[in-house]
Amino acid sequence: MEPSKNDYHISFFRPTTDSARRNRNMVVQLVLIWAVAIFGFQITLKIIEKPVPEPALGQFKSGWTALESGNATVTEMRETGQAVLSVLGKVAIQPDHRLVLDNALSHLAYQLSGDKEALMASVSEFEAIAAGITDIRDDAYIEKKNELIPQLAGLFQLDDQDVRAKIAPLELKSSLMESFNESGREQMVEIMELYLIHNRSVLTDTKFLGFPFHYFYTAVFLLILFVGICWLYCVRTDLFNKKYGIED
Amino acid sequence: MKKILLPLLLIALPNLLHAATAATQLEGGFKVGPAIILITILILFVLVGIIFRAKDTTDFYAAGRGISKVGSGMAIASNWMSAASFLGMAALMYGSGYHGLAYVVGWTGGYVLLLIMMAGQIRKYGKYTAADFIGDRYYSKALRAVGAIIAILISISYCVGQFGGIGLMFKWVLGIDYAMAVIIGGAVVLTYTLISGMLGVTKNMQIQYVIIIVSFLIPLFILTYKFDYFWLLPQIGYGSVVSDAITGLPINETKALMNSLGHDYAVVPVPEFAMPWDPSTGKTFFQWIAIAFSLMIGTAGLPHVIQRFYVVPKARDARWSVVWGLFFICILYWSAPAYAAFGKILSAHPEVGTLAKDAIVVYTAQLGNIHPLIVGFLAAGGVSSAFSTVSGLLVAGSSAFAHDLYVKVINPDASPKRQLLYARLGTILMAIIVTLIALKNFALIGQLVAVAFSLAGCTIFPLFLLGIWWSGSNKQGAIAGLITGGTVSVVAITYFIAGKSGITLPAHEFFSYWLEAWYFAWIGAPLAIVVHIVVSRFTKETPIEIRKFLIEQVHS
Repeated sequence: MEPSKNDYHISFFRPTTDSARRNRNMVVQLVLIWAVAIFGFQITLKIIEKPVPEPALGQFKSGWTALESGNATVTEMRETGQAVLSVLGKVAIQPDHRLVLDNALSHLAYQLSGDKEALMASVSEFEAIAAGITDIRDDAYIEKKNELIPQLAGLFQLDDQDVRAKIAPLELKSSLMESFNESGREQMVEIMELYLIHNRSVLTDTKFLGFPFHYFYTAVFLLILFVGICWLYCVRTDLFNKKYGIED
Repeated sequence: MKKILLPLLLIALPNLLHAATAATQLEGGFKVGPAIILITILILFVLVGIIFRAKDTTDFYAAGRGISKVGSGMAIASNWMSAASFLGMAALMYGSGYHGLAYVVGWTGGYVLLLIMMAGQIRKYGKYTAADFIGDRYYSKALRAVGAIIAILISISYCVGQFGGIGLMFKWVLGIDYAMAVIIGGAVVLTYTLISGMLGVTKNMQIQYVIIIVSFLIPLFILTYKFDYFWLLPQIGYGSVVSDAITGLPINETKALMNSLGHDYAVVPVPEFAMPWDPSTGKTFFQWIAIAFSLMIGTAGLPHVIQRFYVVPKARDARWSVVWGLFFICILYWSAPAYAAFGKILSAHPEVGTLAKDAIVVYTAQLGNIHPLIVGFLAAGGVSSAFSTVSGLLVAGSSAFAHDLYVKVINPDASPKRQLLYARLGTILMAIIVTLIALKNFALIGQLVAVAFSLAGCTIFPLFLLGIWWSGSNKQGAIAGLITGGTVSVVAITYFIAGKSGITLPAHEFFSYWLEAWYFAWIGAPLAIVVHIVVSRFTKETPIEIRKFLIEQVHS
């Protein structure tokens, strides 16, 4: 007998046999676990997050307000410089932002210095040495840098062993010392907020096996889950095929 | 002759050994040790390729269907673990922090979809290539040709990132400029692919997997040990590196540890490295979700991934090979973020300068003061990862060209010899095109590869998903879905290329954000599926032979 027009239809959502129905149910269960584990977690992360500033931002803002009003004390200038260095120490900064921050830092160092001309000369000399070397292990370069580190650490009241003190000589620009560019000044708050405010929540602040929990979940646990889902699917399919006498 | 060679060797060997083990500079300069290791591994690959050379077309396409589950899993992993996994993933996390984890999740989570929705059924359908399936399931020669062309485009797009990775590693080892490195690397991988053929490549892939994973893991054990973290399981030990990056690492807590340039192993707090969609990275929550989703459905639509299921003997083997393949892949994916975390701290000092993100894995090992030969082995692993993927992709692309286009559409009477010749010609043509695009250095390796995933997600994935699971899916629906997915792809890629070429198109910002080249499948794929279903419902039913085949062969 010829098959009718309506024979041989297959649809994932409308299984016609018991085995197809069981397979459909298993696939739906596993896809749901998969989807909730991936997207559910990220959505939760998004919902509960709050913008949390680093302490350096508060330090910057109090100093910056005083600086803008022209009444900044030495301490406020130092704290502003420390905050700027906290951002400059981050690896990924947009080049135009780095220029503004370098200008701010250089100008603050200039203002804080007792002997402005000597500081500028010293920084210029370091720049000249830096421009002429191919290897940072050059003796003259290291000597000059080591001379500047304690000097700048003193200006910004940093410990010699503070990471920020070590990078300060590399961020000072003699050409940016005497004045602070107006457009840069206008961008400062925005730039500092961009680098010093982060999305945090209980999931990012809880530690698990040394990781921030959310990082562990996404980078480690999800992958374990994926392998687990695949393994479970194969085991269940094998059992299921055996039960229904299905041969591959 | 021996009298001359022996003294020469005795004189040269100590110098060569000294040069090979001498500390290497981050950039520039010919690196003897890494070069020796790289050349040795490439020779090994070619030799193994020659030993297992393809003898006829069946071997060339599907490696004789004689590989075990674990072996096939290794082949899947090796085929999968490209320069994007080896080099690109750490680069994305190094540059964009938590955003990079969307790639880790996307490139692994897709295997779950692939397994539970497709792998066994694809094997049961019993075709050689993705275009074979499309042409047969949608009973259309034209669709077969379109499927073949899409497979070629996906392979080219995928290969571009790989050639970029090969170029970067050759540049690092040989100390030459990027363009020359891409040309040399491209020529070497093409020669290798042509010589070995699919059977050789499949056998090689297991060796390649071992080399890739060992080269990737050794420096990580050393780094975690050297910098005083839990080194027995670096994939967990680096969690404290991430936490150190968040809170900052003062110099007085570093126990006098330093990078190879003499900078303290210290850093100011960099929470942006780990906090989700941090504003300073310029990446958003939407982009995270869109990338993960696009990569996952793209995984289930990549012709060269699907094609691997044809080389296992049974559907059960196809399923288990995915489990093994995913596990082997995850070993690398659990490890890659560790390089980014170490790289973040080791390169924190401004004197390190701006490093090429795509080579951060190698730079991290160098900055961690790891022995130059081990760093060389790592770089060779990076090249191997790109090689194994490229050879698979070139074969998939040339199969589409020779088998699906030439034999099935243009000349059905072609002899196997002629068919093989066209496969070889297709391989050469593809390699040339890929080299020319890779020279443009459009984006990061991982991003370039993600374009291929979105393209596959918009075009091939809907055809396979609906073709397998719904007998109502017909030729007209497939054409309409392809046009929809294809249109979204063309728009996204046009805006991407225009942007890179400095041309501003209408609503450029809007399209560049919502349809960015690495995640346009988030909307393209669902749209293609909906259109496919709607058109299928209102047009002529699928022929009964196809429906019968689906029930009796694929879902029996």
